[in-house]
Amino acid sequence: MAEANVTPSRGAQPTGSRKILMQLVTGGEVGVIAALVLLTLVFWLMEPAFLSQRNVRAILAVVSFVGIIAIGQTILMVAGEFDLSVGSVAGLSAVVAAKLMTAAALPVPLAVLGGLGVGLGLGLVNGLVVVRLGIPAFIQTLGVLFVGQGLIQVVTGGYPVYPLPEAVSAFGRANLVWGLGWSFVFFLAALLVADFVLRRTVVGRNMYATGGNREVARLVGINTNRYKIAAFMTVGGLASVAGMFVMADMATATTTVGSGWELTVIAGVVVGGVSLFGGAGTVIGGVIGILLLRVVQSGLVIIGVDANWQQIAVGVIMVLAVGIDILRRRYIASGRTA
Amino acid sequence: MSEFAIETREVTKSFAGIQALRGVDLAVRRGDIHALLGQNGAGKSTLVKIMNGVYPAGRYGGQILLDGKPASFRSTDDARRGGVGYVPQEIEVLDQLTVAENVFAGHMGLGRALVDRAEVVRRTAGIFAEMGVAINPNAVVAALRGAQRHLVMIARAISAKPSVLMLDEPTSSLSAQEVTALFAVLRRLKAQGKTIIYITHRLPEVLDICDRATVLRDGRVGDEFDRADFDQDRFIYAMSGHRLQQLFPARADAPRDRVMLEVAGLTVPGHTGAIHGARDVSFQVRAGEILGLAGLLGSGRSEILHGIYGRSPATGTIRVDGQALRIASPAEARAAGIALLTEDRKHDGLLFNQTIGANITIGNLSALSTRGILRPERERSAILTALRELSVKAPSPTASPAQLSGGNQQKLLFARVLMRMPRILLLDEPTKGVDAATRAEIYRLIVELAGQGVALVIVSSELEEVIGLSDRVLTVADGRIVGGFARGEGDEERVMRDVAQAQARDLAAVQAG
Repeated sequence: MAEANVTPSRGAQPTGSRKILMQLVTGGEVGVIAALVLLTLVFWLMEPAFLSQRNVRAILAVVSFVGIIAIGQTILMVAGEFDLSVGSVAGLSAVVAAKLMTAAALPVPLAVLGGLGVGLGLGLVNGLVVVRLGIPAFIQTLGVLFVGQGLIQVVTGGYPVYPLPEAVSAFGRANLVWGLGWSFVFFLAALLVADFVLRRTVVGRNMYATGGNREVARLVGINTNRYKIAAFMTVGGLASVAGMFVMADMATATTTVGSGWELTVIAGVVVGGVSLFGGAGTVIGGVIGILLLRVVQSGLVIIGVDANWQQIAVGVIMVLAVGIDILRRRYIASGRTA
Repeated sequence: MSEFAIETREVTKSFAGIQALRGVDLAVRRGDIHALLGQNGAGKSTLVKIMNGVYPAGRYGGQILLDGKPASFRSTDDARRGGVGYVPQEIEVLDQLTVAENVFAGHMGLGRALVDRAEVVRRTAGIFAEMGVAINPNAVVAALRGAQRHLVMIARAISAKPSVLMLDEPTSSLSAQEVTALFAVLRRLKAQGKTIIYITHRLPEVLDICDRATVLRDGRVGDEFDRADFDQDRFIYAMSGHRLQQLFPARADAPRDRVMLEVAGLTVPGHTGAIHGARDVSFQVRAGEILGLAGLLGSGRSEILHGIYGRSPATGTIRVDGQALRIASPAEARAAGIALLTEDRKHDGLLFNQTIGANITIGNLSALSTRGILRPERERSAILTALRELSVKAPSPTASPAQLSGGNQQKLLFARVLMRMPRILLLDEPTKGVDAATRAEIYRLIVELAGQGVALVIVSSELEEVIGLSDRVLTVADGRIVGGFARGEGDEERVMRDVAQAQARDLAAVQAG
């Protein structure tokens, strides 16, 4: 018989550590974690400086900026959409906040709220246009990518915004844990919250349903439009937060903040097993994917490989990772690992 | 030339250590229409997939003989070239392409490098003419309904001029009229010397059209029958190993007096491709009553359900338990205690990215959570209870629904809609693609729900089913209710007559206008 004639019972359920292991395998994170560990070992063996405090800290600092956006992007991709405008939104939020606290002389918290408003607002626009007008997310968010870059130039006139109030640079310099600052702390907190929401809450489950099959989700009473809009706003908001963290870190709002992030983020979360077609993937997986790509880039630098090869490596790894993931899914779907 | 067009010898196949086939010897005589019968999980689909190259040579044990000679197919395309055609049960069409492009998908060049569109369209029209169906080869498939899509897939298989044609439940989405047309095609193919393997759950069809029947049970050949020995009871006995009780369970309780659902002047626009929505439909369903909507495919039966459930925009009034409601979305319908079981499990039923368990609880999570946070233990026990109550055969609650047979997938959807204990249950083709044993279970469940006071509305293409189950039957044609009768007062003939009369009236009205 094609299906086991087993009525599910308590005894048939894997328990404890085995259950966790099973979840990891079927959740698809174990592969990317294994690859991460393996690559780290290889780079460390070739060049022990790879695991020096300084390098690890540098990797984590970069990952915390991009990772904040990856968290939002994962949620959005689980809901069946994606956002190409995150880099522009991050940059625009940074320069708007910077202008508000300098040219407009607003108190720093208000200026930051203004920056956040830019991210949430553009997320709302993306969501509304995609959901209500039915314009594909690819087109809408690509449009906002260009609009955002243009607006950055309009707002700044093409010049970096500085000096920023001392509070901002102090915030950016803060050393909280092991030489890492607020951005890393925020990143970790957002990671834990988002992973919990997707894994363990009704909202998360409904998000997966929305991305898995929108019509089914609608028929079971889920307001899929609202979920998609909320996901767009989440990624927009997180992009603006990441942009402002970079601003604080550099104590300047340059016009290139966030530039190119959209592809880094999507490549990373896809490596981490988040599906471009919706309904599959986890926040932890997405973030590990980002970390993996960063480790490769940093490792290649440390062992002295020409910078051009880093790009090539990123491209190859992304396609490989997705290829392996597709094979794995096919394997599971064909019923050979029930 | 061998007497047998296709044979299998000692074919075995296992999945994850579970034996699906335990040595199947099947011999299909040239020019026969050979029925392959068996319950869900008996191994029919697996056997067919082996003969058709889905599971390539080397991935199973045993041997396939084509015209007496050993054959090993590396792929489905290989099998197709070898003269084995296959029409899968699930509809797999390319929505954005035209009918003709679908029929010749992958072979648009007709063997040449350049595409001759006119020729492709002409040949498609020729195939349809042969099949006796009227589908425009230039129509976009997205605009077609389920039954027409199935006919396109059959045309696709026929286009390769196979010597052996395998049909996996070809009639599960066809109306009676279309089944007759399909049988005419099959008889013609048979007359041309083609061999047909016919997989079905519907025994009357076997009696009607097949020459021989092989019954699979638990991965083995359970029994074989020649046409002279065909008998419905013997088939059922061979499939299940025991006799099934009466097909439609008797109603113990009569419908109550309380009107649970009242629909007045319901009008639902037809969606793309369907000519008719529903027009000015009015009816009542009482608590504990089973109301059947009978009619041909595309008559507007499903649209009536969609209008009530808020899936399609509708005008008219809907009263639930005496209270007039405005239902603009499925969420509002659910809040009013209405549930809908949709027709197409693959398209708008199951979530294949989720586990079996999550498929049951989706939409029902508020009771299984505290302030939005899921309670895994509570959810798990709800899932296990639901699986047990409907006796779903599943490897584990965390497996994918793709691993379940059609009947078990359907039970899964029943579990989902029943978890909220609806007052009104709308069922669209509740036994489509479901094996005989599960079908009987679903009938029992429906009668049981009516006994508990649920108001049920059932749509089915199988008139025997609607009439056998329902306390009252309404006949739908061209989006309107054109007739009706209470249990025991009408039969299939009466439905067909009502439909024909309505169509004649419409035609006369068109001609007069």
